[in-house]
Amino acid sequence: MADFDVNKHGVGAVSVLNVKGFLDAHTAPELENAFNTLLNEKQYKVVVNFKDLQYISSAGLGVFMAYVETMRENNGDIKFSNLKDDVYNIFDLLGFPLLYEFYKDQTEAIEKYNQAK
Amino acid sequence: MQKKDPRLYFNTLIVFIILTSLSASLLNINKSGNGITFVLDDSYDFIYSTFLALTVSLIFLNSLRVAWIAFLNKKQKISLLIISIVLIVLSAVNFSTTQAEDFSIVRNFSPALEYFASLVMTYGIIYFTVIFFTTLFHLPTAEAIDRKSEELTSLKDITKLMSQVFDFEELSETITSTTIKVSNSDAAWIAINNNKGFEIHSISGIGLVDANHISNFLISNSLLSEIEVKITDLQLFDAKHKLAKNMKSIVSAPLLIQNRNNGYLFAARKTSRIFEEEESKSVNTFAGFAAVAIENAKLFEESIEKERLEKELDVARDVQYKILPQQTPKYKNLDISALFIPAFEVGGDYYDFFKIDETKLGVVIADVSGKGIEAAFVMAEVKGVFSALSRIYDSPKEIMLQANSILENCLSKKSFVTAIYGIVDTQKGTFNFVRAGHSPLYYYDGDKVQKLIPEGIGLGLDYTDKFNGSIKEMEIKLNNNDIIMLFTDGINESQNEFKEEFGYRRLEDVVNKNSILSVDELSNQIMTSVTLFSKNSSQHDDITLVLLKWNSHII
Repeated sequence: MADFDVNKHGVGAVSVLNVKGFLDAHTAPELENAFNTLLNEKQYKVVVNFKDLQYISSAGLGVFMAYVETMRENNGDIKFSNLKDDVYNIFDLLGFPLLYEFYKDQTEAIEKYNQAK
Repeated sequence: MQKKDPRLYFNTLIVFIILTSLSASLLNINKSGNGITFVLDDSYDFIYSTFLALTVSLIFLNSLRVAWIAFLNKKQKISLLIISIVLIVLSAVNFSTTQAEDFSIVRNFSPALEYFASLVMTYGIIYFTVIFFTTLFHLPTAEAIDRKSEELTSLKDITKLMSQVFDFEELSETITSTTIKVSNSDAAWIAINNNKGFEIHSISGIGLVDANHISNFLISNSLLSEIEVKITDLQLFDAKHKLAKNMKSIVSAPLLIQNRNNGYLFAARKTSRIFEEEESKSVNTFAGFAAVAIENAKLFEESIEKERLEKELDVARDVQYKILPQQTPKYKNLDISALFIPAFEVGGDYYDFFKIDETKLGVVIADVSGKGIEAAFVMAEVKGVFSALSRIYDSPKEIMLQANSILENCLSKKSFVTAIYGIVDTQKGTFNFVRAGHSPLYYYDGDKVQKLIPEGIGLGLDYTDKFNGSIKEMEIKLNNNDIIMLFTDGINESQNEFKEEFGYRRLEDVVNKNSILSVDELSNQIMTSVTLFSKNSSQHDDITLVLLKWNSHII
């Protein structure tokens, strides 16, 4: 069942992960794989685009928590963009906006990285 | 002509031999013409002739009943050949004796007896001659028939064994040793394909090193078929490899389970006679049995393991229910109802009550990220943390901050806990609470439900001042019939068959419509709505629901 998909593309020094479908305990390993690939490639500046994400469970949220520290230690970050309202509400209830940067659009997030240079 | 008793033919033959002898004697058909005789007209000779003709045909009929020879094994056939020669000779000698002159004593004593003896000997000669030739013609096929019958007996034995023995090693050893017998080979072994490579089992007639060597050679040179039995002449590779030093011909039969290859049954032969098609077929038959044996052993092991795990999960569930409050505390002016429904055997939801003193009651609800056993272990730790802290601190905020710093040591990077901790002061009629990333707290203020979401990051998401700064305490002044509702997202995220969520709106509606009910009835109403909504879909997250209803009149 291909109910989740993640694909990656680079915009300058920033890597964009497009997540799609349902991100839960079953599909979280796919996202972990994508992050591991980024680490192997020493890509630490990440934007996760949620445009096509329908649902996220606590196991899905855990993936970002597991990797954000490494990204930040290496002068990078995980920033989120294009969240649907109900998906954003889940992040919001948990207090993610106090710890992570959220953007309406992917370009804003990329811009943020470029400004910080 | 169905299965008539063969003895009937034989007995009839005896009767006719006697009749022929008597008639001959009575009619005095006698070469010498001596003795006491009734001389009758020659016209009565037909009686004797008829009896003789019938006797002769019966002799042939009896002599042709030799189908049993086919079922003898080679050894028995050879002995039968010798025995039949001896008996032919004996019968012939005896027969000639009856014809000789010096037999006249018997002839004179009883002509019938003479006839009887010569007819019996005739029968003996014919019968044993037929046996001799039949056996002779069956001799070349004896070996093939031996092997077939051996195969049949072995199959019967193995089938019986399979229904009694679940130990793979024991079965597979029987399978390799019978394979050797039925395929006339010198060695046999089984190679099982586990994910890491081939594992050699149940070696018979060959050393492990050689078996390994040959198997690896066949595998690495793609000389095996995934699905079909194959005969390989190792002598063709003799120059490059020393494989043929011992074994010259190999049959490899795949072990197929639901058309998936699980390994091979190998049979090897030392002599340069290459395996025949027929022999490879027998090996293939036994490969089928080996495949079933492997599958059975695996299933048996799995079922034992499953049973063990189920028992342990039962224990875990009992333990988890014991961790939760066995009964709700009783206060004069506070009605309490609590409910926990795990989605699996065990879950990561938690709620608890702490009697801080005579008038103050601590309430906690928490949801550990993830599901199942892992969440259940964290949940047990969370229980420890909150029950300890509730004895030390009487400020909800302080308890939440302490809980976060304690959990830093036991939560993995990926997991977090959301919680609400509150204290009801039954004297002052207040409810003070903090929220750490948890679902909203519902407060029914006598008019309608309000969704209260004071700021607060979930436990385990951050261990710095950001967390400490985010936790905001909120106070509610309780009025008569006010309801406080704590729940986990298993309720609002319950899905129907269209993957729609129950959501906050429906939940608020149920509470608004049923606010007059007692807490237990309200709890029932909520669960009924949730269950009806998601009736065609399975519960995928734990559900916890805690209701508090304030009753100021009783003070």
